[in-house]
Amino acid sequence: MPRIPVQLAPFVRAPNEALLLLTSTLDASASWLLCRFLCDALSPDRDEQQKDAKKVLLVSWLRDYDFWKQEVRKSTGLDLGGLRAQRKFAFVDGLSALFLADEVEKPRGLQQLPARPIPAKGPPGLHTLSSTSLDHASATITAALDALDPSSSTLVILDNPDILLAAVPALAPSDLTSFFLTLHTRPSVSQVLVHLQSDLALRTPSVPPQPLQIAQQNLLVKTAHMSAKVLGIRLLDTGVARDVSGVLRATVHKDSWTNIGTLGQMGDGRRGDAGLLEEKSLEVLYKVQGDGGVRVFERGAATV
Amino acid sequence: MAFRKRNVALTRSPADNTPSSTPSPPAAPLQPTPPPPGTRPSPIDGRPTTSTGTPSLDAILAGHAGLPLGNSLLIGESGTTDYAGALLRFYAAEGVVQGHRVHVVGMGEAWGRELPGIAEGRGKREEARERERMKIAWRYEGLGAHGSVRGPVSGSADARGEEVNVFCHTFDLARRLTLPVGAAAINYIPIPRTSGSPFTEILRNLQRQIAGSPPGSTHRLVVPSLLSPALYPATCANPSVILPFLHALRALLRKYSTRLTAMITLPLTLYPRTSGVVRWMEIISDGVFELSPFPYSHLESLATSAGTTKDEDRPQGMFAVHKLPVFHERGGGGSTEGLGEELAFTLSRRKFVVAKFSLPPVEGDTEAQEAAVREVAGGSAMPRKEELEF
Repeated sequence: MPRIPVQLAPFVRAPNEALLLLTSTLDASASWLLCRFLCDALSPDRDEQQKDAKKVLLVSWLRDYDFWKQEVRKSTGLDLGGLRAQRKFAFVDGLSALFLADEVEKPRGLQQLPARPIPAKGPPGLHTLSSTSLDHASATITAALDALDPSSSTLVILDNPDILLAAVPALAPSDLTSFFLTLHTRPSVSQVLVHLQSDLALRTPSVPPQPLQIAQQNLLVKTAHMSAKVLGIRLLDTGVARDVSGVLRATVHKDSWTNIGTLGQMGDGRRGDAGLLEEKSLEVLYKVQGDGGVRVFERGAATV
Repeated sequence: MAFRKRNVALTRSPADNTPSSTPSPPAAPLQPTPPPPGTRPSPIDGRPTTSTGTPSLDAILAGHAGLPLGNSLLIGESGTTDYAGALLRFYAAEGVVQGHRVHVVGMGEAWGRELPGIAEGRGKREEARERERMKIAWRYEGLGAHGSVRGPVSGSADARGEEVNVFCHTFDLARRLTLPVGAAAINYIPIPRTSGSPFTEILRNLQRQIAGSPPGSTHRLVVPSLLSPALYPATCANPSVILPFLHALRALLRKYSTRLTAMITLPLTLYPRTSGVVRWMEIISDGVFELSPFPYSHLESLATSAGTTKDEDRPQGMFAVHKLPVFHERGGGGSTEGLGEELAFTLSRRKFVVAKFSLPPVEGDTEAQEAAVREVAGGSAMPRKEELEF
């Protein structure tokens, strides 16, 4: 049994050297698709031209490692713990210590020694973000990338970095987009997949408009312009249906931004865009089943 | 070559002195530790769940028949009513009764003294309900409220023994819960009047309490009317204050993923769902519900007094499900019971019921009204001939 349904394969297979955008909404989560991306990149049995599996670095600002581990195991059968030990997978945790100060270990009686300079080494492949600054994030990501197996290229998944934009007023949308781009220009990184929220309430300014909404819209549109492919997950426009979880739409840029002269030096000679042009924009319906499997079908073909 | 009789299990241990457990494999050395009081494994994936104190709310939580531990619920309510407050009280009271540690943010001890007590004299009603259930064919009963199928099962289990593991109690809003004496059952977390974010101190308090409690204990965080100007300083509604709090709370919930749950209510009139901050709050929360009470009208009360509907069943507002814990996080959507259906809630003295919404018959529709009256009377009217023929 294939781990990824045939109809889903064109969505998950990303062109090399590309920035990808994945959007989701409150009631149509994208974690199931991120699991498929992980699986597709980490599985060794890919197409013929792609011999060896890639490595994956997952940076998640809203979900913890245990969630991803369970979901990936349940939906695709991959063992992230084992892959971590093989240095094929690394996880950067942006949830547990980002805003939560660890106040517990504070013995009142005896003062602890002044902070030892040795950073607490966690288990291999697990890193934690403790600050909202992008410098700290990119330093942690660099450390995580360096610790990975250097033999093959890496897919970097950024899961909900837009929470930073919402919670940190000093951050501008352009800071985040340049963060994505600098990450993308690293030699060891082949693809960057950015997952952002695209709820209507976040995109369209209310009256009076909130700065948060304007920033989010700004970020979404900028990232969409930069991306070679935009995957959107949303609920059915007609409302909730019994056998449909949501709609998945893939929009492929005909002319990727990498071909534009001013930005061309970024992707020069790194990618032929023949493969990119073959792809078409698609829209399918999906249904995430209780056992973690997913069924993908065309409109009108739901009763299979 | 030995001839063996067929249809006999091959590995039958000779010391088979437990006839009740014959189909179970002999290698079961580990007695599973009983779950902490007030929790039970989810029928779907076995993760521990606890009751919200409201059976019909447990029933719509995507088949888990309870709130999975390590998850939070955000309940928004528009208008000036406090139906969501009733849900919070049931949730807190259930926690106190189960021996969970309840943490309440921003409320004084008066709030804790007003928690609803366990309903007494339920025997008669329960019996009547049991008798009612006898009439329903077993296979159709399963089509009803999903989780409640399991609810009574565990409830009836205590009929044979002593009071074992009632998952969800019935509370009476007119009674008062007697809080256990001695160790404070409820931790009242005050909202500090600081210039910075008051939430850091709240979180610190919560963290200290959890870390200082015995390892097996279960905790519930109750946050009534989050961001209400009556309780919180004005700076709290700033995204850079409230979103870090909810994010940190989410981290805490994941850290204590078998010990902590949270329930938060939010006044939606002040913070509408179309605003970006509220949407982020919803994204960070695990479950999102919205209560929209119907405006009160005299005409309506007159109409219902004419006997069109049972007074008890008249819904008091719409109950919208926007996000369910675990289910939506995994990418689900669509097809669970409750989702995509019009739900309405009814709050009475003893229960908060979330049920499918159906409009009562129109005023001029005498036939339907008569039918409704007949229904109320218990269907005693003689069915017509064509209804009987198959």
